Amino acid sequence: MLAIDARDVRKTFRSGFIRRRETVALAGVSLGVPRGAIFGLLGPNGAGKTTLLSIFATLLLPDSGQVTVLGHDLVRDATAVRRRLNMASGNASFVWAMRPPEILAFYGRLYGLSGRTLRRRVDELLETAELTEHRRVAYNELSTGLKQRLALAKALVNEPELLFLDEPTLGLDPDVSVRLREHVARLRRERGVTILLTTHYMREAEQLCDEIAFIKSGRVLARGTAAELKRQIRVGDVITMRLDPPSAPGLADMAGVLRCDTVDGRIRCTVDDAEKRLPEILAALHADGAVVRDLQVREPELEEVFVELAR
Amino acid sequence: MSWRADLIATWAFALRNLQMASRNVFLLFELLFWPVQGVLMIGLMARFFEMTPEQTSFILIGQIAFSTVSVCQLDVAYAVLYDVWSKSVKHQFLAPVGVRHLTLGAWLVGVLRGLIVFALLALCGHWAFGFNPFHAGLVPTMIFLAGCFLTGWAVSVFVCTLIMRLGAKAETAAWASVNFVLTLSGMYYSIAVLPGPVAAVAAAIPLTYFLDAYRAYYGFRAEFSSPLLMGLALAAVYIALSHWAMVSAVRSARRSGLLLKMSE
Repeated sequence: MLAIDARDVRKTFRSGFIRRRETVALAGVSLGVPRGAIFGLLGPNGAGKTTLLSIFATLLLPDSGQVTVLGHDLVRDATAVRRRLNMASGNASFVWAMRPPEILAFYGRLYGLSGRTLRRRVDELLETAELTEHRRVAYNELSTGLKQRLALAKALVNEPELLFLDEPTLGLDPDVSVRLREHVARLRRERGVTILLTTHYMREAEQLCDEIAFIKSGRVLARGTAAELKRQIRVGDVITMRLDPPSAPGLADMAGVLRCDTVDGRIRCTVDDAEKRLPEILAALHADGAVVRDLQVREPELEEVFVELAR
Repeated sequence: MSWRADLIATWAFALRNLQMASRNVFLLFELLFWPVQGVLMIGLMARFFEMTPEQTSFILIGQIAFSTVSVCQLDVAYAVLYDVWSKSVKHQFLAPVGVRHLTLGAWLVGVLRGLIVFALLALCGHWAFGFNPFHAGLVPTMIFLAGCFLTGWAVSVFVCTLIMRLGAKAETAAWASVNFVLTLSGMYYSIAVLPGPVAAVAAAIPLTYFLDAYRAYYGFRAEFSSPLLMGLALAAVYIALSHWAMVSAVRSARRSGLLLKMSE
């Protein structure tokens, strides 16, 4: 069952009156997001991630294509969709003079909450977001971390089935980011919320997301789990060695060695398949009389896959 | 959307405007300082020119109408401007609410603030210049006020439409539009003094008729037959038109991406 089913979604932004400029933001994106999943959208700046997220959130109308969100047609049943989703951004902003409970209550009312239900929900959210002690502070006097937590709390005010998070940990201290990630993971685990997340932090995507789609120039270039993507995009395994003597000039020319360089006195070779190439490399080093003092083999990081795709 | 959810969403916008109004010194000035200053200046000018009590009432009515419409329409404009200024426009359009909730909620606060301004100015005019706001009677005064508020609604929703079409650069319209409307609808004069084509435009403004009807009780010949009917009919048309324009502007902002540009 899909929470989002998008087919061939296209969006071009037009600007300028005299000299008309067109920017293609989405050039035919098709994507299915399973219910209850945490799905990551990765891609370089201007790839179309936020545009796609905004279309799914009904904030932007697509030029063409078909999108079904939680079983509703996105364009025809926009109001029905809006009741069941919400969104938080990393650089969220609210009316400056309002206090956290007032902001939450305002948006709660827009979703039809009132009276005791609203008060209870606001108190719960303030407590979950650890904002209770800041309840009398005006929004513009809150720190970045508190603002971000308030944005997430606001996004939960209607208990959404589908939650969009646009770079939720942008500019946050590491400890706050960790807590926020835990909170996001808990939302899915305890409430079964489907979460669509955009981020620039690969570790965040790897930790949180069941599936990831890479977007570039308005197209989905690859999708799968982090492990699948690493396998699909063969950026190679990395073998790092400390040798005695500390150089091995012949390694770069060996079959299957994609790259070889020296970093901090260690030889770092990127090979197409470590399992296959490691015995050959060790044999060659042994033949040259080199002694291997230390050796590490690791899979590529998601970041390296990202760099490869973004190239 | 159920009628209950409709009421709650409308109340949300009304309450937010009240909360913002209660903690903004500038808004207090808007409510107290400028309107009172306007009435005092106009009244003193009338005294200097030795105008008759009727003539003084005539121009004071124009000044009071200006302040009342102005305060009322600003509240609706603020409902959009608060979000434009704080770059949070997208959050309210992400929620399952319509333009009607925003405009109606904010307008109700505008009516409340407009009533306060009217009462204050009437009191000030009575105390300083012997102006009697209830000379026309309670019902005609209430109808006149209703005309001011309905005009304020239509003008402000057009202002909101401009903001949703052009972004924050259209915010000056929030202050300029009411001056424009009042200038045309005979703030200090009868529209008979306006040049032909301008008078035709004035005749298309509902407030022109409400001013005409109200001033008739102060001894001035009415320019129009059935002004109240015309005023109400025109106000209804403009409110419907402005609502449609605003709905269409929001849809256009969703298409062009302006909704996102005005956010975060």
